Amino acid sequence: MRVIRYDREYSRRQFLGGLVRGAATAGVLMPLWDAVAKDGDVTRAYPEELLSIENWSKGKLKAGDEISAANVELVKDLLEPIKYHQVAKMGRRLRIAPTTTDIFRLSPWEYLEASLKNRGQAQFDAQGNIVTAQGKPWIGGNPFPDARTGLELFASLTLSWGRHDASMYAIKEYDVGLSGEIDFRYELGWAELSPVARVSLEPRPYWTGKEDKLRYQSVFFVKPDAVNGTSYLNIWPYDQNRFPELYGYLPEFKRIRQFPTDQRFEPLIPGSTLYLSDAWAAGDPLHTWGNYKIVGRGPLLAGVSGGWSPAHPNWEHRTHGGPKGLSFWDTTVELVPEAIVVEAEPVKFPRAPVSKKRVWFDARTGLPVGMVTYDRRGEPYHSFDAAFALYEAGGKSVMDGKHPYWSWSHVHAFNIQTGHMTRLEQVREIAGGHRSSANDPGLYERYLTNAALMRLGRA
Amino acid sequence: MQKTGVTGVVAGMSMLLAAPAQASIFDDVGFTIGGFIRPEFSYSTSSDDNPANQLGNYYNERSVPRQAYAPPALLPAILDNLGLPPLLGGEVGTWTTLALPTLLAADANSPGLRGVNNATGGGTPMKRVDNDINYAIIRSEVELGVRFTPNLNLVARLRGIYDPKQYDEFDARRYRDVQGGISGGDQVLYGGKPNYFEYRVEGDDSPNPLEWAGDDYLIYFPTLVLEYNNGPLTARLGNQQIAWGQALFFRVFDVVDGLDLRRHSVLDYAQEEYSDKRVPALGARLGYQLNEELLVDGYVQKFQPTIYGNPNTQYNVIPAQFTVHDRYVEGGWDDKLSYGMRVKGNYGQWGFQAMAVQRYNPDGVFRWTQSGHNKDLPTNLGSLGGLVHTTLALQGLDSGALLAQSAFEASPGGVYSAQEWFKYAGFARLNAMSGLNSSITEFPATADLFATPVNTVEEAYNELNTFFIAAGGSLRGHIAREYAQEEVFGLGASYVTEGEPGSLLDQLIINFEVSYTPDRTFTNTSLSRNYIQEDSVTTALVLEKYHRFSQAFPATYLVFQHMYRSVDDLFGRHLSGYGGTVNKAADGVDGAHYFAFAFQQPFPQDIYRIGFATLYDPRGSILVQPGIKWKPRGAFTVEAFYSYIDGSLGGANPNDTLLSTVDYADEVTVRLTYQF
Repeated sequence: MRVIRYDREYSRRQFLGGLVRGAATAGVLMPLWDAVAKDGDVTRAYPEELLSIENWSKGKLKAGDEISAANVELVKDLLEPIKYHQVAKMGRRLRIAPTTTDIFRLSPWEYLEASLKNRGQAQFDAQGNIVTAQGKPWIGGNPFPDARTGLELFASLTLSWGRHDASMYAIKEYDVGLSGEIDFRYELGWAELSPVARVSLEPRPYWTGKEDKLRYQSVFFVKPDAVNGTSYLNIWPYDQNRFPELYGYLPEFKRIRQFPTDQRFEPLIPGSTLYLSDAWAAGDPLHTWGNYKIVGRGPLLAGVSGGWSPAHPNWEHRTHGGPKGLSFWDTTVELVPEAIVVEAEPVKFPRAPVSKKRVWFDARTGLPVGMVTYDRRGEPYHSFDAAFALYEAGGKSVMDGKHPYWSWSHVHAFNIQTGHMTRLEQVREIAGGHRSSANDPGLYERYLTNAALMRLGRA
Repeated sequence: MQKTGVTGVVAGMSMLLAAPAQASIFDDVGFTIGGFIRPEFSYSTSSDDNPANQLGNYYNERSVPRQAYAPPALLPAILDNLGLPPLLGGEVGTWTTLALPTLLAADANSPGLRGVNNATGGGTPMKRVDNDINYAIIRSEVELGVRFTPNLNLVARLRGIYDPKQYDEFDARRYRDVQGGISGGDQVLYGGKPNYFEYRVEGDDSPNPLEWAGDDYLIYFPTLVLEYNNGPLTARLGNQQIAWGQALFFRVFDVVDGLDLRRHSVLDYAQEEYSDKRVPALGARLGYQLNEELLVDGYVQKFQPTIYGNPNTQYNVIPAQFTVHDRYVEGGWDDKLSYGMRVKGNYGQWGFQAMAVQRYNPDGVFRWTQSGHNKDLPTNLGSLGGLVHTTLALQGLDSGALLAQSAFEASPGGVYSAQEWFKYAGFARLNAMSGLNSSITEFPATADLFATPVNTVEEAYNELNTFFIAAGGSLRGHIAREYAQEEVFGLGASYVTEGEPGSLLDQLIINFEVSYTPDRTFTNTSLSRNYIQEDSVTTALVLEKYHRFSQAFPATYLVFQHMYRSVDDLFGRHLSGYGGTVNKAADGVDGAHYFAFAFQQPFPQDIYRIGFATLYDPRGSILVQPGIKWKPRGAFTVEAFYSYIDGSLGGANPNDTLLSTVDYADEVTVRLTYQF
């Protein structure tokens, strides 16, 4: 039997210590990003029991095993409470993969390169916006890779959602009702583009003349017929105290109309449990939420790799669980050595249906791997868990420039109080020929202007 | 819905490349198809039918007293026939001087009863019906999208509608033996049962491109466009609809297309805002995003008119006593182009737009026109018609030939009494007095028929009744529809307020639009060929707000709108035609104001959504429309809304208000949609 040098108690004490201090950098054996800076690998920062489910479970589980109701108790401490409930009671299953230690498989290459290069240069200005030492907008990568506070984690996430300078996600959405049947199906596109902090697209780091903007983002629906043409365009100011401008095209109006921007907890389409506010667990400007605080640290099982479905020509995923086998994506998880749990409260939404959200970040990357929102009574309301992937598997790959494409692959959004599930998956292409893409400079004209809204709207 | 496609390996537009790559010219080609089928029913909750139709006429089953009078021009004509010199200069007395005794004509004092020939006593009185079903159709729409390249797409939307005609319908053939039947005009529209869908004009029975219609079905392409985009440029070529402006329902900037009122008129769910009503037109539209703030949008398209409901169809607005000669093709307007440009800018909380359009007003203008229908007055001995006919014959004239040169046709289903004339002139926002006079002065042949202009209501009553009796019961009026060119200029500004988060004044969207049309051409309220030309100003103030009243429910959408129109009403009728009654010609009103308020309240997850809309005309009419939409499953949608209309609030003269025209249309509408 192999002797483990640092046992689970050691790690737990380390995590608790960091939690009590209120702020701590990630890593147990050494600061995580010092380890990453050496060779791009996280192994040196964590003891063996946090780098392998087999070590963590003392041999009871190993990579390749499946977690189900039969054995979920073994990993109860490694699951967000709602995910545990889904496995224990609703037939959800999780396939375990080995822990990824190569950080370059956990985010886009250029983003990580910039994170390393620009490490230590970020700060908040008087308005609470991320700036360089010279007071300019951020220049690329994760501004706080070794985040010490919940605010830093959320600030980095809000600054760049998809970690590409421009992304177009072709998405299929399925809304599953209590009966387990799919009540609503949608096909939609989600485009986002950063005019600042650019690491791939020219000009960089800033799109000249647009340094006061953080993001252009649109969402548009192409199926079914009743919502075909429904589209919204958000233009985010860099100042995170202000709401984005919002324009919309509704098919029945046949034209672009301006919409108020603070309505971010509204159903976009019938049957969906998602709000604009839920995007990337940080869908609103940073300072429209507040009281960010770290409330937990520790290992977690999450789908940070292996989420791509190369076997399907359109990257579509298989499902299981629930009354009809349609409630959950087939999901691959791995042991994340350190997750940081951060809570935040909405401060500029007086009548928001949520009182707070709790987000689980992968400490290595700052990616949100899970979220639970709470209603105004403090009861759990919605839960989200996302899966990510490097699009390279089974001898196939999808290239993003010189490197394999990295992105999210599927999401569960579950209304705990009603039992309705919304499943999203990133696919290769949706109706109308809209395809997932990254760092395409043409995305702006195609999806992110008023003229684009006019075009995306049904003729 | 299903999707078929040629799945390629390489996306030309995409920066994501699958490896290994195998390119083909068909890689980017893809097809999508989807659509829905939807039965729609409207159940009438009022006790009235459409008064513009034969079977909804206010005077059906009502016997209206009529007395014929000696035309002032008759005695000189008789003297002339006898070879005697005229007594005085041209006319003797007035239309009130001498009631014709029944000794001269047995029917000189006969009541007007719609459907009955007073010369013969034949015919069947027209009944007044009250349909329980105002509207029942089955609609299906299919949209095909073809993507040729990332920059080139084809969008084809096909709409098909079938009306099983579950109505108590008028049938002109029942009156073939009365006054010779309704024999003038296009017999497809006037000679039988209602034709629900065909848009027919003089010289062309199908002037709408890409449309196929019969009396109970309609198939057309509301959209058939080839779309090309390259960077900031978007071009659309083909049959398309264009909507401009931020105001909903109130059309200030929305001037590009006319409306198709054939189906449910303007009585669909108000918050859908003419979604299926704009008449598509062949044309080209170019959009260019100049920079992030400015969008330029221009079009040029073949002129297509507004389409009104055909005679006796459920929501027809042109009184069925008229026969319309639409001169769209005959007058060459089918070759005309409309074009315009709009610049739209967004600067944070502020937005601006400006437009300039040269167009032919799609609503058209109407005037009296020669009936062209040679049908004699009744020749029955002892009847007034016979007397006039004989008198004319002695002068070597023919009553039918003269009528053909007038705006009238002696047929059933026209106007039977002066009361009806005045009532319907008011209903149509026309002037009963000047309308009568222009039908005489602008048609010289009417002088030979002893018609003369009048100065008083009493004279008009007597002259009208005399002619209706002489015609054997009723006269149908013939009017021409023509189109006038105009330039429309518009300016608009919007502002989004910022206040305390969650307060009523936070994120309130204020929008103001104004349009100005110099020398806009309107139908003369006398139906004279000398159309009214007058500068027209239209404004709309819109306040929109999404407000969360509670944590449990999504935000409520609230909108308040005010519209001002300087010279016409919301339906484009000149305001000088307002105010007529059965005893009085229209005296007109100055300026029109309308107020609208609407809200929508989605329930959590938007499975249910309730809505409410109201349109208030301060002169005394209101539309109130609550509704609900339910989406139990993705494929199914159930919608229901109730329209309540009061056209004379507080006893107002209905012809002083906007909505009295559709006062009959209190109804519950239900739609069941299955989408595929």
